[in-house]
Amino acid sequence: MIRKSQLLCLFLCVSFIGFSQTYFLYVASESEDEVALIKFDGSQGFVDEVITVGYQATEIEGPHGLTIDPSGDFWYVTMAHGNPFGRVYKYATKSNKLIAFTELGIFPASMQISSANGMLFCVNFNLHGKMEPSTVSVVDPFAMEELMQIQTGAMPHGSRISPDGLKHFSVAMMSGELFEIDVMNMEISRKLNLDRSLASMHKESSDAVDHAAMGHVMNHETSHQDNHHSAIKPTWVSPHPDGQRVFVAANGKDMILEIDLLKWEVTHTFSTGKGPYNIEITADGKTMIVSYKTEGTTAIWNLDQGRELAVIKNSREITHGISVSPDHKYVFVSVEGKGNQRGAVDIISLEKYQLIDVVEVGKQAGGIAFWKVEE
Amino acid sequence: MCTYSYKSQWLVWAMLLGMASNSLAQSFEIIVASDEIELSSEGYHQILVQAVDAQNQVIPEVNFSFYSSAPQIFKVDKKGLITPLEPGQGNVIVIGRLEGMKDYQRLNLWVNVKHSEGTDLKITNLPSGIFAGQRIGMQVQLLDVQNYQISNPNLVFESSDTHVASVDIFGNITAHQKGKTVIKVSSGKISTETVIAVKKNPVTSIELSSNVQEAVTGEVVYFDAQAIDNEGDLIAAIPFIFSFTGVSASPSEYASGMIKDNGNFVADVSGIYTIVAAFGGREARRTLQVSARNVTEKVQLKGHGTVSNVHTSDLWVWEGIDGRDYCVTGTWGGNGEAYFWDVTDPNQLIPIDTIRVDARTVNDVKVSEDGKICVISREGASNRKNGLVIIDVSNPAEADIIATYDEGLTGGVHNVFIYKNHIYALSNGERYDIINIEDPKSPKKVGTFELDEPGHSIHDVWIEDGIAYSSNWAYGVWMVDVGNGMAGGTPSNPKRIANYAYPSGWNHAAFPYHDKKTGKFYVIAGDEAFPNGLNTEDGPTIPAGFLHIIDFTDLEHPVEVAKYEVPGAGSHNLWVEGDLLYVGNYNAGLRVVDLSGELMGDLFKQGREIAWFLPADAKGRIPNAPMTWGPQPHKGHVFFTDWNSGLWSVKIDIIKPKNIKVEKR
Repeated sequence: MIRKSQLLCLFLCVSFIGFSQTYFLYVASESEDEVALIKFDGSQGFVDEVITVGYQATEIEGPHGLTIDPSGDFWYVTMAHGNPFGRVYKYATKSNKLIAFTELGIFPASMQISSANGMLFCVNFNLHGKMEPSTVSVVDPFAMEELMQIQTGAMPHGSRISPDGLKHFSVAMMSGELFEIDVMNMEISRKLNLDRSLASMHKESSDAVDHAAMGHVMNHETSHQDNHHSAIKPTWVSPHPDGQRVFVAANGKDMILEIDLLKWEVTHTFSTGKGPYNIEITADGKTMIVSYKTEGTTAIWNLDQGRELAVIKNSREITHGISVSPDHKYVFVSVEGKGNQRGAVDIISLEKYQLIDVVEVGKQAGGIAFWKVEE
Repeated sequence: MCTYSYKSQWLVWAMLLGMASNSLAQSFEIIVASDEIELSSEGYHQILVQAVDAQNQVIPEVNFSFYSSAPQIFKVDKKGLITPLEPGQGNVIVIGRLEGMKDYQRLNLWVNVKHSEGTDLKITNLPSGIFAGQRIGMQVQLLDVQNYQISNPNLVFESSDTHVASVDIFGNITAHQKGKTVIKVSSGKISTETVIAVKKNPVTSIELSSNVQEAVTGEVVYFDAQAIDNEGDLIAAIPFIFSFTGVSASPSEYASGMIKDNGNFVADVSGIYTIVAAFGGREARRTLQVSARNVTEKVQLKGHGTVSNVHTSDLWVWEGIDGRDYCVTGTWGGNGEAYFWDVTDPNQLIPIDTIRVDARTVNDVKVSEDGKICVISREGASNRKNGLVIIDVSNPAEADIIATYDEGLTGGVHNVFIYKNHIYALSNGERYDIINIEDPKSPKKVGTFELDEPGHSIHDVWIEDGIAYSSNWAYGVWMVDVGNGMAGGTPSNPKRIANYAYPSGWNHAAFPYHDKKTGKFYVIAGDEAFPNGLNTEDGPTIPAGFLHIIDFTDLEHPVEVAKYEVPGAGSHNLWVEGDLLYVGNYNAGLRVVDLSGELMGDLFKQGREIAWFLPADAKGRIPNAPMTWGPQPHKGHVFFTDWNSGLWSVKIDIIKPKNIKVEKR
């Protein structure tokens, strides 16, 4: 006769099996010219498939940015180095087979597809070029054709789109600017000098309001491109799900800047560890995850309280990109490694604030994108 | 101009349903009068578009955005007005959105910007007079009103007097007898005419002579044709047509070769060849016996230093300041290491030291002329700040890093060269910087050279006699004066001398070759291509590409004259010493080629290959998969690296066949 406790155990097992979830994500290895598809079952992750990318066989082309089509049917990877222009490649998630590619600017990096018009916006990082304005490429991902390049600042990075799909944000690392592009018009709608805006925020409240001093520059105004090296050195921008603000990683200042989109100025700052690099915010808007690249850690912030909840040591020295599962349970962090050391994806529990698994991938793991979760 | 018609609405709506399938919701459909728009390059077109719901009711709240997929062909404004810029095709992408809704609908409209009517026909190549019996192909251009050339126009050719000269449907004119005729070319309503004066053919006979009656394969034979009139006098400047036939010595092989407009001929295989010089119905023939070049030699393997943990890249062999011989090799896709070897005894390649730097690939290695300074390139640095590393190799067994340099080079240094106290370093595949290392501890950039071409890129640079030979993929080989003086260049002020590009765009390496015996100056430009991908972990790789031999004797008019292509293999780095060419032919191993005499045609087919060696190693990074990177002859031996198996040394005893003559012409 089966005892009640055995029945309960059986019920729990069936329940557990019935509700087990598998998380799927892609990560690019910049010094290996490969992309890995990773699966994670809630406790362990593994590499399900490795896809070799690029066309210049004996050269490191550097897959840098990754994004998934809103439909989940396609993934895109930017290749930083070309002859001389980089490319964006389109692959099918179903088969991981290459579908098409198109050429972009110098060192195309992070990118995202707008849900408002289906266009892909990719920053041309031009990491190794002259300190001059670079561009954001707009690509039609259906035809894989570059429609235009929109000039922004020096070393644009952190290509992210607002929740409603209508605004594209990027920051220029060297010129210290935040750019807002109107997705439908494909024109710069606003830009903000972050160094000036931060300085303005720190001024005494009795100072007269001076919009120019606060860094406002409307798109119709003529302004000289700032060629100074920004002290802030912004590396990432992440819109909040409420659509009211964006968060910028001030890599050179060891802080996160909160920019109020209505006021278009820095309104709050968060002191961080060394070298904040990437930012992701959970879909409920409550938690912010920041990679501290210089110190090789990942931080979890409570945004309501403006409090750093935990700092987790990563498995390698150089922390790079972040992706969060849509159920807010897990953070997937790409960690580069050095020299011959393989890269990794560190899987962190957002409930326990703990590193729960490390999945080894190719060298210099960088771009990372969450694909889907399956029951 | 298209007009919107409700009459056809349902039909169009139905037709375009499928085209909007990429949308995230089906709350409305976009309808247009036509999804194919054709307009001339002088016109405009207003897109008329509406959104309807499932009951075909118009939804006026839908906002539309218009984007051009071909902004160089046409632009489209925010209201859907198309303005053509030049003839061509593209799409207008129409996005329809309801304010406040996240979903959108999309429609592609095909746009064809046509040429305006052809307005100008130009005949570009006809002389005013030709001789009876002569045949000339006409070249005609049809231009539209904006001076764009219309491709593949329908042309009609006519001759007013076909007894004097006839013209076929392709525009080939054949002159028959003395007289004048009007050649008319028409395209639709426009036409152009030119008068051709046919002169009596003065040639009554042709004499054909050559410098030899017997030759070997690959040997260029010079045929001279002379036209003689009915009084026995020579007639100058007759455009002879040269051709040949032949019978191969082998029953399973056909006779092949190449003959040029000036009568220069080269045979690929042994046999009997008949050369024909013809003009205006007259012709002369001459027979040539060609025997096999017979230059094949065997390769003796001397030494091998297996590198099995990582792929091996470039090498440099030099005589150290202690009189011993050394070699440095790079690594690919590894831990940023360069290996130093004692190769004094080519039978024993002994690793003596390792340098490790922050990189994944040390692609290139070079050593200064005095044997004291080595420079290695860095790619894949962990902080993405690549550059180069300068190493004191006075004692290669204790190689010592004395400086690193990354200013302007952080994008990655793929190739380097040292020449007269300067390092020439590629930067991010865009240019090469010139860095003074008179004080190697304190390198200083003094110059740079970058092409001023759209989308330019560079792969390699090699310096000889103060001339930098850079390889620039689609932009080909560039010769730049960096101290030679012939163009007034210096390291701080490099000056272009000449350049040559070829269609494939695969130019990867270049090596100069001065042939003192023929007086020719060639640059041998190598391809690199992987149409079948690169196998980095297991199994062989099948690359492609070949060596292009470019005659730069006339620097103003370089011309590609020959090629060396190993079937089923790809080319990589090369070296010329004397009149011998050494090639790292990737999967085809090491190849040694006879360059003696003038070069013309297909050197492989001509049997100019002297020797080959396949470096298979069961313990290699990929076992038994030859992938030869680059060779370097040194003191009677040939050293080379193999991507999968490390460093090798071989010896080849070259005994030139006596029947090869070299003529300066």
